[in-house]
Amino acid sequence: MSGVVLESIVKAYGAVQVVHGIDLEVQEKEFVVLVGPSGCGKSTTLRMIAGLEEISGGALTIDGKLVNRVAPKDRDVAMVFQNYALYPHLNVADNIAFGLKIRKESKEHIASSVDEVAGILGLTDYLERRPADLSGGQRQRVAMGRAIVRRPKVFLFDEPLSNLDAKLRTQMRAEIKRLHQRLGVTSIYVTHDQVEAMTLADRIVVMHDGRIEQIGTPMDLFLNPKNTFVAGFLGSPPMNMVEATVKAGGDAPMAEFEGHDIPLAPLNALNHAVGDKVILGIRPEFATIATEGTANRVPMDVDLIETLGSEALIHAMLGGKPFVLRTETLGKMDMINNVTGFTIEPNLIRVFDAKTGEALPGQRVEP
Amino acid sequence: MTNMNLYSRGDKLFVVINMVLIGLFTLSTLYPFIYITSLSMSTGFEARAGNVILTPVGFTLEAYKQVLSEPLFWSSYGNTFIYTIGGTLMSLLFIIPGSYALSRPQLKGRRFWNLMVAFTMWFNAGLIPFFLNMRDLGLLDSYFGIIIGFAVNGFNIILLRNFFEGIPQSFEEAARMDGANEFQVLWKVYMPLSKPAIATVALFCIVSRWNGFFWAMVLLQDEEKIPLQVYLRKVIAELSDDEEFATSLLTAAYSFETVSAAIIVCSIIPILLIYPFLQKYFSKGILLGGVKE
Amino acid sequence: MSMDPNTSGISTEELVVEAREAQRDLKPSKLQNLGDHFKREWQLYVMLVPTIVWLLVFLYKPMYGLQIAFKDYSIFRGVAASPWVGLEHFQTLFGNDQFLRALKNTIIISFYGLIFGFPMPIIIALMFNEILKQWFKKSAQTIVYLPHFVSSVIIAGIVITAFSPSAGIVNTFLGWFGIDPIYFLTKPEWFRPIFVGTGIWQEAGFQSIVYLAAIAGVSPTLYESAVVDGASRWQMMWKITIPSILPTIIIMLIIRIGNMLEVSFEMIILLYQPATYSTADVVNTFIYRQGIQGGQYDLAAAAGLFNAVVAFVLVMTANTISKRYSRTSLW
Repeated sequence: MSGVVLESIVKAYGAVQVVHGIDLEVQEKEFVVLVGPSGCGKSTTLRMIAGLEEISGGALTIDGKLVNRVAPKDRDVAMVFQNYALYPHLNVADNIAFGLKIRKESKEHIASSVDEVAGILGLTDYLERRPADLSGGQRQRVAMGRAIVRRPKVFLFDEPLSNLDAKLRTQMRAEIKRLHQRLGVTSIYVTHDQVEAMTLADRIVVMHDGRIEQIGTPMDLFLNPKNTFVAGFLGSPPMNMVEATVKAGGDAPMAEFEGHDIPLAPLNALNHAVGDKVILGIRPEFATIATEGTANRVPMDVDLIETLGSEALIHAMLGGKPFVLRTETLGKMDMINNVTGFTIEPNLIRVFDAKTGEALPGQRVEP
Repeated sequence: MTNMNLYSRGDKLFVVINMVLIGLFTLSTLYPFIYITSLSMSTGFEARAGNVILTPVGFTLEAYKQVLSEPLFWSSYGNTFIYTIGGTLMSLLFIIPGSYALSRPQLKGRRFWNLMVAFTMWFNAGLIPFFLNMRDLGLLDSYFGIIIGFAVNGFNIILLRNFFEGIPQSFEEAARMDGANEFQVLWKVYMPLSKPAIATVALFCIVSRWNGFFWAMVLLQDEEKIPLQVYLRKVIAELSDDEEFATSLLTAAYSFETVSAAIIVCSIIPILLIYPFLQKYFSKGILLGGVKE
Repeated sequence: MSMDPNTSGISTEELVVEAREAQRDLKPSKLQNLGDHFKREWQLYVMLVPTIVWLLVFLYKPMYGLQIAFKDYSIFRGVAASPWVGLEHFQTLFGNDQFLRALKNTIIISFYGLIFGFPMPIIIALMFNEILKQWFKKSAQTIVYLPHFVSSVIIAGIVITAFSPSAGIVNTFLGWFGIDPIYFLTKPEWFRPIFVGTGIWQEAGFQSIVYLAAIAGVSPTLYESAVVDGASRWQMMWKITIPSILPTIIIMLIIRIGNMLEVSFEMIILLYQPATYSTADVVNTFIYRQGIQGGQYDLAAAAGLFNAVVAFVLVMTANTISKRYSRTSLW
């Protein structure tokens, strides 16, 4: 059994517990992204895997070996830090070679490894430069070079792109993905940016308040969020949450919102929920804009239209709360300018229990 | 802002008066040094007569000949070098690892250890218990006593600790993941990153060692071990205490005034040589120390 | 960790061992955590030990030795075995004219130092700030910082030479105005002005660095908008610069008051003589003469303890006040 396995991992500082027993299995060669708002424990979890934080409880195995009490250097993992931690007094070659030198590898081995890594990352022309003389993207590459040169079993990334500007971030994101495809090393990546999580991950782990909310493929989490937290966290703009009352169950379930009936997909759980409050999760992308006279139209007060080119964002008020729609623009501008409501396919509405925030059981949208 | 033409007449006057005042203050700082230098190169007779104002009168290097022919001058000069270099190295040997350890968040009892350092800055036992302790340790009249007895001071530790704390911890973590132990982290990463702060501390040590006088006077009885400052003080004390004795040594070529002026010049020269570094690092140093818990 | 042997290539035996170990790790004891910590971080403690041992041997052990202030100390018996005498030494001190005089002198000299010495660096910093020619500013700063790095022995040597009645430049100047030579350093009434003046001459320039740094932190846009509003340099100094550095000034004042008792006695030892003891002798020089020169260790230690306790109270008070004022402590 290769990969990284976390079993009931706990982190406590004195009496304060910040990670409350995490279970996670990362398969060999898998790219797993831990995502969540700041303070959710994702970085702490990563640092426990790295060995930078002592593990307060639980078991951590890497490549089948229990490593709870193994020093970071003996865990065969490498980490890319948020601020890169490039040694400013060393040039690029020495930065990449640092770990090999500390481990007293032979000179020839170091030289060939550094050359190879520099080749992979396109740093060959910069080996003599100091980090201060590099651009942000180059620094980022050196940081990765320092990690891959040791050929570790696991790569750990701690928000590695958060110091870059938006354009560079997109570019480096693709590079990390390509690098992973090329090297095939198990990777665990921490970020608070859900776009990074969606684009990079084989599987995403959404964390919140020291607990895992949901684990799954990006599409799965996008389409089938387990609760309102995951639903609100992934996707941009985030999922709209509309509070409604279940009006009828059976084959034609219906929710009522401000006097309008919204048809829902048939769902066993709805049969016992007539009269209960639910939250309808509506992705901005899944609702269709509607003008006066459209059947089943839910009316809304449009207050702002942002045109982004191929797409437009329609900001509206729905029952006194903001509601956002995203729609294509080509050939639709007339309609967009006259929009007064929306319609939505019943099976694209995600229904959550209003009390617990959990999705009602039995709903599933396949990609 | 620096274009004078943009200034009103009142402002111009203000700027000029200010410049004149600063100029006067600067001259008053510089003058005593010029005076002493000129004195050291004047004849004893003219010096005694109070004729030296700005430039040497009756230029002669007799005073220097007199100083340089005195074995005690050379031995005390040599001793000062021993105390300065030995003491500074000893200080760094203690302070660098110590303040690194104190800067690490994972150190257990960190608050307590830091308090233990800071407390010595707030409260000290005073001259007598320190002196008796040195005597009990057998460190009177000893090179080693002077070198070790003043190796550590709270201010320098806190200064360097603050600097280490300012280096992102990810440097330590990255190095440790690369397989470095704490000594390697300090030696290969933190020390190269802290060159300015270490230079500052080293210069603090050098200056206080070079200028140190009181404890050397108290702890060293053996004339062969005294540093330059104590030797200089002996010469000056004889000058100021014993006017008659001073007069008896007056020759036409040199006097006590010119001789002590010559020693003063000789002992300032090394400070002047490192002064560019001092100026560069000290201002950073005093701002880096002090503040922050 | 999956316990299903079918999904892994590890033998059952290994799994059992691992599981047991994992079980134990689910709740490691405090002692075990501490053991792990030292196993990981022992090198840090190796780095710390020399400094701590040094502090214990050279600074904390003398604090233990302070008990001789309450003992009839004899060199032969040592600190611990000397008999207790209670507050006898303190009674002696407070009945001793010389000690009381030293106490009074300490306070007076500190007070002069504060009144005349404290504003000088601020004024110098403000003046430096108004200099437009960079080369002039740089060279002037280079010169006025210099005396700080010169030893007190040399400064004293310069003072003694300059104020000497026969060769001294000061008396030469006075001579031009027909004034007879004054034996400055033997006159009690001249000691304090000379001492305080020397201190200012030596340190004021260097101390201005702190204020210059504070001035450098003032946002240039404040001055720019003042220029647009038609303010003069003088007005800008009073309305912008001084209010902006006021917090620094107050903190420095608090520190200064906290260190009131720290009269640079090294310089006093170098400059005073029996003729000027009446105005020059401070607590630390008194301790030096009584203890180290006179061998009355216990009495001198008592004076030192008194000094240290008062200084400690002053410093801690200053620290607390400045903490409240600036939310950063001084150390």
